[in-house]
Amino acid sequence: MSVPTEHLLILSAILFSIGVAGFFIRRNLIVVLMCIELMLNAANLAFVAGSRHNAFLAGQDQTDLEGPIMVTFVIVVAAVEAAVGLALVIALYRRKQSVDLRELTELEDGSHA
Amino acid sequence: MSLITIVQESALQTTAQGGAFDPESTQQLFANTFTGDAARALAPMVSLTVGILVLLVCELFEGLKKIRPAVFLGAILASAWGCWGLWQHTPEIGAPVRVLGGTLLVSQQVGVWGMVFLAATLVAWMQARKYYRQEAPFLGEHDVLMLTAPIGMMMMAGAQDLITFFIGLELLSIPLYCLAAFRRVRNDSVEAGLKYFVLGAFGVAMFLYGAGLLYTATGTMSLPELRQVGEALESPLARTGIALMLGSLFFKASIFPFHLWVPDVYQGSPTPVTSLMATGTKAAAFAFLLEAAFLVPVSAATLIGVLAVLTLAVGNFGALMQKDLKRMLAWSGIAHAGTLLFTVAASAASDGLLSAEATQAAVLYMAAYVFTAGGAFALLSWLEADGEHHTTIDGLRGLGQRRPGMAAGMTLFLLSLGGIPATGGFIGKFFVFGAAVQADMIALSIAGILLSVVALGYYLRVVIAMWMQPAKDGQAPPMAERPWAAACVGFCAAMVVAIGVLPGFLSGSTLFP
Repeated sequence: MSVPTEHLLILSAILFSIGVAGFFIRRNLIVVLMCIELMLNAANLAFVAGSRHNAFLAGQDQTDLEGPIMVTFVIVVAAVEAAVGLALVIALYRRKQSVDLRELTELEDGSHA
Repeated sequence: MSLITIVQESALQTTAQGGAFDPESTQQLFANTFTGDAARALAPMVSLTVGILVLLVCELFEGLKKIRPAVFLGAILASAWGCWGLWQHTPEIGAPVRVLGGTLLVSQQVGVWGMVFLAATLVAWMQARKYYRQEAPFLGEHDVLMLTAPIGMMMMAGAQDLITFFIGLELLSIPLYCLAAFRRVRNDSVEAGLKYFVLGAFGVAMFLYGAGLLYTATGTMSLPELRQVGEALESPLARTGIALMLGSLFFKASIFPFHLWVPDVYQGSPTPVTSLMATGTKAAAFAFLLEAAFLVPVSAATLIGVLAVLTLAVGNFGALMQKDLKRMLAWSGIAHAGTLLFTVAASAASDGLLSAEATQAAVLYMAAYVFTAGGAFALLSWLEADGEHHTTIDGLRGLGQRRPGMAAGMTLFLLSLGGIPATGGFIGKFFVFGAAVQADMIALSIAGILLSVVALGYYLRVVIAMWMQPAKDGQAPPMAERPWAAACVGFCAAMVVAIGVLPGFLSGSTLFP
């Protein structure tokens, strides 16, 4: 294999970490959604790398479709999640004219809604 | 052999024959895939899907809107019939039957879990009748979303493949994100939906990344094959993957330290939705956790047990602080998840030897919990029928004089949550800690039982407020007549007592003969 599996996994780990870091650091909901997409795509990369790795281990002319099929499902579900997520963000914007996570302060210990 | 492998081989065969379509081998493929067992396994999910389609058609015609409750109940009943068939007519002797290329399990457990999920949905739906005011025009969508969730739960419980599980998880989560924010004119509901969505999507991404690592390390995503890979499960890559997946499942099941979203989301969501989240989601997450417990190395079983005790402690002490009953029930839900985690720890500690006992204990616990917590939430949604929250513990003062029936129901549910004998909650706790003791986790079990006693402190506080403290002047909240909610409370109370006093009805060796 021209590109070793390790390199692909390291790349996917870096992407995933960027996603996680952004998820915890950023306060804009749209950016948080983007970070989640980044994490999903890091997982996709891991699936594709795994599929290639396992096909290679199985021998010449072998394919392992499980990984790519999972990736297709993940892409579809990511689209669904983005649709629902953006709808929720719009609902928040209508109420607060802002998409900042710090606006979510209604529910806390001791608060009486 | 997974479904994908079959399709792949059939495709390769077709290519080998020069690309010619071979009807006979395709027919064979279909006959081998869609067997009678497959039909039985799919029947509960297909009934619900048909129900969803009919509900959507009903939405189109003004005259048909009246039959919506009948359609909903029909779908639930048909699905329950399918689950009953799975429970009663699946021989437990011999190798487990897997259908659809080994992606779905056909077993008695799946049937019983299915009925638990349907009960949770039914309880949530009954208390949602006449609960919504401003959102009433969208009740059709509400019912459709609520009927989608149990399909996802059933897929999670029966999944023998990480792909199937992932689809089930999303089929459960996405309707719940929408339902949590269903009262979109209210800030708290929107906030609950967003918090649930953002953290839920994070959890799913974590699960997928973990599954990707596990797949790279072992070369398979099917649970039966993962059972056989042996040492490949012990590589650092596979271990990391398993840890990430467990973290994500713990998130769904609200286990410490992934529990922080629970009180906010439970408090902000409409109460019927909270009921579904607290009972159904938790049951589905534990159904799969128990199925996948073999992935947990035996050496990590103690860690899981410690997490269970910590979750119990955090949940109970969190609940002690609360003034709002809905939020208190959310914290108590965390504590109950901690108790249930003992079953997973027992299964992992015994290296799978106790997995049947652990599953049975978890099913029983959840069956009791669905009706106990479901009933308590039904009473809450009855109390806030005029659209406002009257759910503070102070607001419940004097309920025993004003509405003795409601107060008696709430007392029963709270005692069952606390695990008093002769209620369903006691039977559940008895079996769960029994499984943990069998797995030699004596010290952890004792800690768990002691913490369960702490829980009585805050449950009894509510009982005292209802029966012994008079209402403050002008604080008696208005009451609405809600026949559906009343029926729901009565149904739950009957089931709690039935599970409590007739253990043989649902328990013992009769559950999975």
